[in-house]
Amino acid sequence: MKRIVIAGSAVVVGLVILLPAGFALLRPVTVLPRIELAPGYDFVDQNGRRFTSEDARGTITLYSFAYTDCPMPCDGVFDVMWSVQAALDTVDTGGLPVRLVTIGIDHRRDFPGALTQLAARAGAKPDVWTFASGDSVRLLRTVRNGFGVFYEGMPDSTYRFSPAYILVDGVGIVRGDYRIGVPRAEDLVDGIARIAREARAEGVAHVMYEAAHFFACYSE
Amino acid sequence: MTRRTVLVLLGAAVIVTIGSAAWLIGRRPVRTFASQTTVLSPPMQAAEFALESADGPVTLRDLRGRHVVLFFGYSFCPDVCPLTMQRLDRALDLLEEDADRVQVVMITVDPERDTPARMRQYVSQFDPSFLGLSGSEEAVHKVATDYGIFHAKVEREDGGPYTMDHTATVLVLTDTGELVLLWPHGMEAETMASDLRTLLGG
Repeated sequence: MKRIVIAGSAVVVGLVILLPAGFALLRPVTVLPRIELAPGYDFVDQNGRRFTSEDARGTITLYSFAYTDCPMPCDGVFDVMWSVQAALDTVDTGGLPVRLVTIGIDHRRDFPGALTQLAARAGAKPDVWTFASGDSVRLLRTVRNGFGVFYEGMPDSTYRFSPAYILVDGVGIVRGDYRIGVPRAEDLVDGIARIAREARAEGVAHVMYEAAHFFACYSE
Repeated sequence: MTRRTVLVLLGAAVIVTIGSAAWLIGRRPVRTFASQTTVLSPPMQAAEFALESADGPVTLRDLRGRHVVLFFGYSFCPDVCPLTMQRLDRALDLLEEDADRVQVVMITVDPERDTPARMRQYVSQFDPSFLGLSGSEEAVHKVATDYGIFHAKVEREDGGPYTMDHTATVLVLTDTGELVLLWPHGMEAETMASDLRTLLGG
């Protein structure tokens, strides 16, 4: 009897130790990290309508940056965003809406008419992919100070900037920041799917996701 | 393996388990908050700010040692702000003596009209312990952007005083200045109090 008690205790103790350690090491669930709060903003979209960070609340949003007549690197940005847009039909988000947003960084030219042309050039579906911009102060606060994306106007009316793709969840938290090289559209779509799965998780599954955050089980 | 060895190993395992449990509990991984609350686990370092109260400059660092419930609004706000402030007042009442460990802060999104003195007057209507902050337009815009708060002036068609559209999310920071909870607009006072109790007691 005594041996059974000892053996049983050892098993329980072992489980208590091994389960958290196992979770941390084996990483049965991985998540995208919660990086920071996305900035609040107030812009105008390609249809001349007001577009704010509140419009993005409740949707998974992928942000990118471009400007009218942008030669490079905007074509690459549009390629990636278009591929994500095309792949969204294959992603099961459980009904959670997904939105793509490209912010025009040229306050002198990125007015609704120009943004409409830019959206057409990019092959944007109006109900999925929004183009928006604002005055210089709003852009500076949101893009450079908020999203931390550097851009600089040049004397020849072009802009120097590094492409960035920023994934924000429905609560307004930055969950993915892709700005080294050109990300693969599959990785961005995978990020969207991960956020959607996590947002839908309830009960034990929700606890597993929170444990994944706690143990920093981040996806690559 | 002798019986003594088994006992020693078992004792060591128990010590490790208790130590691990204490560490985990110390980091508070599992706490129950309201379903509509967004819990940031681990918490995020909140952005530092420097604003003005009626009594002088206030930074986030000055508020260390108390949990901070942060709301962005303005004193001319017709509905959302008074409702939120009333509920926060009620939530603190429900916390009873633990309310001393919580500081409610309202930062204006309308620095053009809301001076620090006006903010104090406004928040004091709800609870004299509430802190109202204002500052330069640039300082207010910066802190709002840092905390994900959208805000914009809206001119009225009837020529009346302008209003402000703004995010009505309430943010909760730990006593060490880390962002830990996000409450959507419309949370009931009882739910906020329950979350705060969990946070304080967890």
